[in-house]
Amino acid sequence: MNRVELALRTFFWIFFKKEFRDKIAPYFDYKRQIGVEEEAEEKAVPVVLPQEKKTRRSDAVGLLALLQREGRLVDFFKEPIDSYSDAQIGAAVRDVHKDCAAVLERVFDIIPLVEKEEGTQMPVLPGFDPDQIRLTGNVAGNPPYNGILRHCGWKANRCELPLWQGAEEAVNVVAPAEVELN
Amino acid sequence: MASKYAIGIDLGTTNCVLAYRTLEEENAEIKLLEVPQASAASTIENRYSLPSFCYLATEAESAAAAFSLPWDDNKDYAVGELARRQSADVPGRTVAAAKSWLAHSRVDRRDAILPWNAPEDVKKISPVEASRRYLRHLVDAWNNKFPQEPLALQQVVLTVPASFDASARELTMEAARLAGLPESLVLLEEPQAAVYAWLADVGDGWRKKLRLGDNLLVFDVGGGTTDFTLIGVEEENGELTLKRIAVGNHILVGGDNMDLTIAHVARNIFADKGINLDPWQSVALWHSCRAAKEHLLSEDGPQVYPVTILGRGSKLIGGTVTAELSAEQVKSILAEGFFPICKADAVPVRKSASGFRELGLAFESDAAVTRHLANFLRVQGQNGVSVQPSHVLFNGGVFKADIFKSRTLEAVKSWFGEDVESLEQNPDLDYSVARGASFYAFVKQGKGLRIRGGAARSYYVGIETSGPAVPGMERPLSALCVVPFGMEEGSQIDVPSEEIGLVVGEPAKFRFFSSSVRHQDTAGTIVERFNDTQIEETDSLEADLPADEKFTDMYVPVLFQSRITELGVFELWCRSTISDDSWKLEFSVRENQ
Repeated sequence: MNRVELALRTFFWIFFKKEFRDKIAPYFDYKRQIGVEEEAEEKAVPVVLPQEKKTRRSDAVGLLALLQREGRLVDFFKEPIDSYSDAQIGAAVRDVHKDCAAVLERVFDIIPLVEKEEGTQMPVLPGFDPDQIRLTGNVAGNPPYNGILRHCGWKANRCELPLWQGAEEAVNVVAPAEVELN
Repeated sequence: MASKYAIGIDLGTTNCVLAYRTLEEENAEIKLLEVPQASAASTIENRYSLPSFCYLATEAESAAAAFSLPWDDNKDYAVGELARRQSADVPGRTVAAAKSWLAHSRVDRRDAILPWNAPEDVKKISPVEASRRYLRHLVDAWNNKFPQEPLALQQVVLTVPASFDASARELTMEAARLAGLPESLVLLEEPQAAVYAWLADVGDGWRKKLRLGDNLLVFDVGGGTTDFTLIGVEEENGELTLKRIAVGNHILVGGDNMDLTIAHVARNIFADKGINLDPWQSVALWHSCRAAKEHLLSEDGPQVYPVTILGRGSKLIGGTVTAELSAEQVKSILAEGFFPICKADAVPVRKSASGFRELGLAFESDAAVTRHLANFLRVQGQNGVSVQPSHVLFNGGVFKADIFKSRTLEAVKSWFGEDVESLEQNPDLDYSVARGASFYAFVKQGKGLRIRGGAARSYYVGIETSGPAVPGMERPLSALCVVPFGMEEGSQIDVPSEEIGLVVGEPAKFRFFSSSVRHQDTAGTIVERFNDTQIEETDSLEADLPADEKFTDMYVPVLFQSRITELGVFELWCRSTISDDSWKLEFSVRENQ
């Protein structure tokens, strides 16, 4: 389904399908009008784009720019490391790791998908979501299964990327060039 | 329209935070406002704190609208995260530590002097204007999020250091008004805000923690300043109450000084390896040392920690240099340098030439905060006997490292031979002042315990002693007490004194002094022959006396009347004794030295 089609369907479903409407409404903090009681308490409002004329850039470039700005991640991956000793690499990695981890924490608040210790028993019930649970090993028959949790999985608890509002020509700039004046 | 929120704003030396809670529920949660701010050119991010830095954009940057905000398209400056980063890369265009300048009575704080040492073509701004910009940004962020509940209509409390004197408080108030904070704005001392944050956490449980006669010491070490406050537990109508009994002087030493000290050590290690750092690397070193300090001082921290400066260009690993700092080294430098176990009668070293000097601000020559603490407890005591605190509440990011708490407790124990109890504080020390201020904005509606305090200092007007003038000799100056220590908000005092003659048609000007130790003086007390360890000079006061036909003499005899408004603002009036006129004296923040 392309995006135009999806948008149009969404548009009409809002009118004709109450169930869909109720599902969609929270995304727009739209409870009151559709009859869900709510006190006028605030919701986390994302930063509003000031004007439409500004260019929107890909979130992926935005994230890359953020990781480079705060954690030098692109510098790190773009540099050939074959000629360096492990100690040299290790010294640099510590900082890159610390700063990139801080970005991940702030932007995504990444938490384990399954709050269980890895290596312990894990039941898998019928109707499980294959997007959330991946089965490995001797997969046969139908659920319920009883397996061992090998990886707890990760989930982004939020996704708050910086808002970018630069010019069209700069839309793919991950890091500006730096020129020092004396 | 009635207020809906109780808002606390921490206007810090390095970070600003806004906390809020609803006024409608008794036990509402205190939340932090997410503040949208530029984190790079054309990039906006939400953060809980707004770094107190202001970057003054170049014309090209302004023209490209690189620092547009959701509520403002055309900014020729940026405050917050981007400005903090720029302070390292472009120091000549970045304002830092504006708050320390507000309390600096040797410069005109309404004059465009910042960034100090900026290049010629930079359009400098005043310390008041910088503060206004930080506050305005918070106001806009709030109004952007709550368009139905504008900040100007809420109950707002703004915090200031306890050691801010009347003129620094007034300048803060001025910046706040210009930024659009409400007329009803109340100032609260930061250490008291820390206590309110504690009260918000423990609730009524505080009555079990503190007993009648206890003395609570609030030990607040921020990025650039150290503040002491003593709070006593008293009884009133059978109920325990809290009263602020003393505050210390403004001490310009804080966590940043610690980081600089470690950086200095690390620089020498690099130098021994034959690596001389350039200015850019030095700033990176400072940040790296801050991280190293936090790791090395943490409880199960490593024995050694590498201080790394990444290569500057895109060659990250190739340009990286490393030095190893040992935990032992860092602990001993910081513990011995900043938190020595000194004697109870220790006096901070006063030396003008050395110490930390930067930005033209007068940093303390003695960085040992425990020595300042010993001094504070002694001068607040009587007959040479120091005040003994029973409890300590630590505040400020420095105390995330437990070693500084334990060193303080050890030092205090060595002075009194008894243990002092440390109160459990919410671990988020960076936000407690704003949270406490929000809680206070709530309780001041009559909904909970308030710390009683009144004026934190006594104030004096300088008057020349009468008597025959001796040629070539200045007449000796005496200090007339016009505001006694503890004078309550919402009260006024007619100061008993001899009549003072003001010249009609000329500005009347008075030298003005304050003291944090002379608690015994009452309004009208005249102090002769004082020195600056007891009474300090602050900004002078001025009033214009317009010529008027009804004054036939050259002089109008006046008496002083001092007032402290409900909002905690100090006013001094000259009241004519021969007519109904009175003139308000205003701080002249301009012409001191």
